[in-house]
Amino acid sequence: MKMEDMSLSGLDNTKLEALAHDVYSDLVEDACLGLCFEVHRAVKQGYFFLDETDQESIKDFEIVDQPGVDIFGQVYNQWKNKECVCPNCSRSIAASRFAPHLEKCLGMGRNSSRIANRRIASSNNTSKSESDQEDNDDVNDNDWSYGSEKKGELIQSNPNSPRRSKSLKHKNGELSSNVNPDLYKYNYSSGISYETLGPEELRSILTTQCGVVSEHTKKMCTRSQRCPQHTDEQRRAVRVFLLGPSASTLPDSDTMLENDGYDAPDGQLIMSRLQWDGSSDISPSDSASSKASTNNSESKRPKKKKKPSTLTLTTTGSGGERDKGQERERGDRDRVVCGGSGSSSSQNALGLSSRKKRPKLPVPLAPSIYDDLN
Amino acid sequence: ATGAWMSPKRGLKFVLIMGILPFELISSPEYRTSDVVCVMSPAGCSHVNGFKVDNWKQNLRLIYQCFVWSGSAKSCICHLCGAHLNRLHSCLHCVFFGCFSKKHIHEHAKNKRHNLAIDLLYGGIYCFVCQDYIYDKDMEQIAKEEQRKKYSMWEPTKRELELLRHNPKRRKITANCTIGLRGLINLGNTCFMNCIVQALTHTPLLRDFFLSDRHKCEMQSNSCLVCEMSQLFQEFYSGHRSPHIPFRLLHLVWTHARHLAGYEQQDAHEFLIAALDVLHRHCKGDDNGKKANNPNHCSCIIDQIFTGGLQSDVTCQVCHGVSTTIDPFWDISLDLPGSSTPFWPLSPGSDGSVVNGDSHPSGATTLTDCLRRFTRPEHLGSSAKIKCSGCHSYQESTKQLTMKRLPIVACFHLKRFEHSAKLRRKITTYVSFPLELDMTPFMASSKESRMNGQYQQPVDSLNNENKYSLFAVVNHQGTLESGHYTTFIRQHKDQWFKCDDAIITKASIKDVLDSEGYLLFYHKQFLEYE
Repeated sequence: MKMEDMSLSGLDNTKLEALAHDVYSDLVEDACLGLCFEVHRAVKQGYFFLDETDQESIKDFEIVDQPGVDIFGQVYNQWKNKECVCPNCSRSIAASRFAPHLEKCLGMGRNSSRIANRRIASSNNTSKSESDQEDNDDVNDNDWSYGSEKKGELIQSNPNSPRRSKSLKHKNGELSSNVNPDLYKYNYSSGISYETLGPEELRSILTTQCGVVSEHTKKMCTRSQRCPQHTDEQRRAVRVFLLGPSASTLPDSDTMLENDGYDAPDGQLIMSRLQWDGSSDISPSDSASSKASTNNSESKRPKKKKKPSTLTLTTTGSGGERDKGQERERGDRDRVVCGGSGSSSSQNALGLSSRKKRPKLPVPLAPSIYDDLN
Repeated sequence: ATGAWMSPKRGLKFVLIMGILPFELISSPEYRTSDVVCVMSPAGCSHVNGFKVDNWKQNLRLIYQCFVWSGSAKSCICHLCGAHLNRLHSCLHCVFFGCFSKKHIHEHAKNKRHNLAIDLLYGGIYCFVCQDYIYDKDMEQIAKEEQRKKYSMWEPTKRELELLRHNPKRRKITANCTIGLRGLINLGNTCFMNCIVQALTHTPLLRDFFLSDRHKCEMQSNSCLVCEMSQLFQEFYSGHRSPHIPFRLLHLVWTHARHLAGYEQQDAHEFLIAALDVLHRHCKGDDNGKKANNPNHCSCIIDQIFTGGLQSDVTCQVCHGVSTTIDPFWDISLDLPGSSTPFWPLSPGSDGSVVNGDSHPSGATTLTDCLRRFTRPEHLGSSAKIKCSGCHSYQESTKQLTMKRLPIVACFHLKRFEHSAKLRRKITTYVSFPLELDMTPFMASSKESRMNGQYQQPVDSLNNENKYSLFAVVNHQGTLESGHYTTFIRQHKDQWFKCDDAIITKASIKDVLDSEGYLLFYHKQFLEYE
């Protein structure tokens, strides 16, 4: 009917209802039309039924919800024999022991420097047997508490799980056993040839040894860091020389700039901060919020939580807790990278053995992130 | 007349509004088999050839521009009966509008031998000889160009159609399928990593980014973590049932975040931040060309999803001058009652902030309580005076934190691990957290309106900007010395699953909400275009 000719007054209820119904039908029809056109087109173009050709697979992938099995219908605990290939050394390692292996393989484990030093020290005494017993080392190494982690049922870890302590380290009398030929090369004269060593190895050595290169033999001095034969200046120089270029690519070099002892309240720094409209120099990984929420008068700096040196730290993935004794040792090796950052810091790094504080943890970005401290 | 019943897509073919829409063909069972699809006439028809002469393209464009996409179809009327709507069509060969329902356009077509007409509401082309809507490639191209739609749905090309028909095997993601879920082998106390990986792979926006292959790698070496992440998504959606071994991921993370490596037990929260940071750094190639001066604030996917802005206002107690800074954050770390930092008792209103009329629930601490505490004004005390630029001297002040800008994914970190000088312990206080969270009371803008004396609006149910939904919960079981991480993740809107390293099982919402909670991941409910 022509809308223009109608006026609603004077219409009785039935006519009004009929009108309303017409409007309603129009609306519904309009709403359906679009969808119908879509379907029609999909069918005509041939892609409407494309996703329904494989009913079997749909059944296959249905979620299973029964006790004793996971959503795929598999029984728990059947994945013990998985293996993977280490990207670093290309050896095949049992998956459940991959992490401890990688730690050693990358030279970052707490024991790596110890083992490495042992090997180097014993290089004179053994033949070049490269028997591969690294797996044994993993198993014997009590640092990794395999038993504390059970798969399947509720994981209530054993609170008495093996703790690391210094005494446990004196095991594994084997000397040259676990050698990765690529990482450790040594010869039989006294001293170490620095050319054949990788950066990790160099770093570990330089934490515990003098390292100054003899002009005669071109080898590094294996005496202690306070060896009277060489001066501190020489020691500094050799570190710059050996670690200088690579040091700049390592996160830790930046962290040496950090002033850890800053204890002023948050407020004092606020004036120097930038407005964040995209121009803040602070990285979100500084986790401003986590710092901010603990601003009470206890001198505990929130940042400390992130530093590995604070022992007890945030950890607890699983496994034991670090013993206080460990810290010192850990402080000795690793993180020595201070080659390029100036004499004072390198001096500090060398003397790390008694330092508890570690370079700041978060993120190896451009130095600017350390400008604004909370 | 129209008893139309629209069932979900699968049922549509049974429905149709018989009698009103002559789409009889669709409801016929023949359409179900792919055989019939081949037999059917092609999408286009030969009768358009008579139309495609002279200036047809320009004419067609005009019609789409002026009538179809402009929405003015609703004001046009049938030349024969003057009706609006009624599936009005325009003849393509001459200027004539006729309604479809009453077959006026059909009459015209027959009389004038004008075979083609266009539906003014939806732009479909009808051929009176074929007696059906047809889809001609050239004409559709013109329609698409005139519509200027920014985002269109994917359609298979001819070649793709062929391939799909020849290969009927499918990975179809239904509401009840396991695709997208996968266990992770524990590599030796690496559950801290596994739990975070589960949370990230079930972050909807992140998932969409990677599954649509949006990462363009600019790293020369093989050590891009973003690429590895992309690979991880492929593994999760591969349909494999055996757990994945994330050894490459571990290697990459330890290589790029050395501060993490070498510590056997680690904190999941620490891992999350480190992982986000490495991903953010490796995302350089995805910057969309917007090179920000600041390396910490780019438009990579990590920043887009996870980065929020935390506003810190320091108010001088003497001159009341306020100094404001805004810092980016990826997570909010919240103190808990029972820690050595003073928390309780804290009753609503005692800190001076109005709390939206919420009554403090007796019993369990809630996430909202923690947030309230986080955003309360705090006196810094006389031992912590700041240098006020207004007073030019050191004065006492109060400090308050609020959210300037919330990220799309908000991660709350409940500080359960206490490491103060005197003691180290895990705080196991139960904190109840909601499925849906409204962050409005904690926004900087809310605080401003409070300070300006505006009446504190009750939580506006129509304002969707700050509404968040829980989608992942990381839990820690055990003690400080030894423990295990697991994650609850949400899939398909309301299904929850528990991820315990290699074992994925179904979980109930109750399981999730009753759990202790260590890291809580919330996703913004409503996303807007920028």
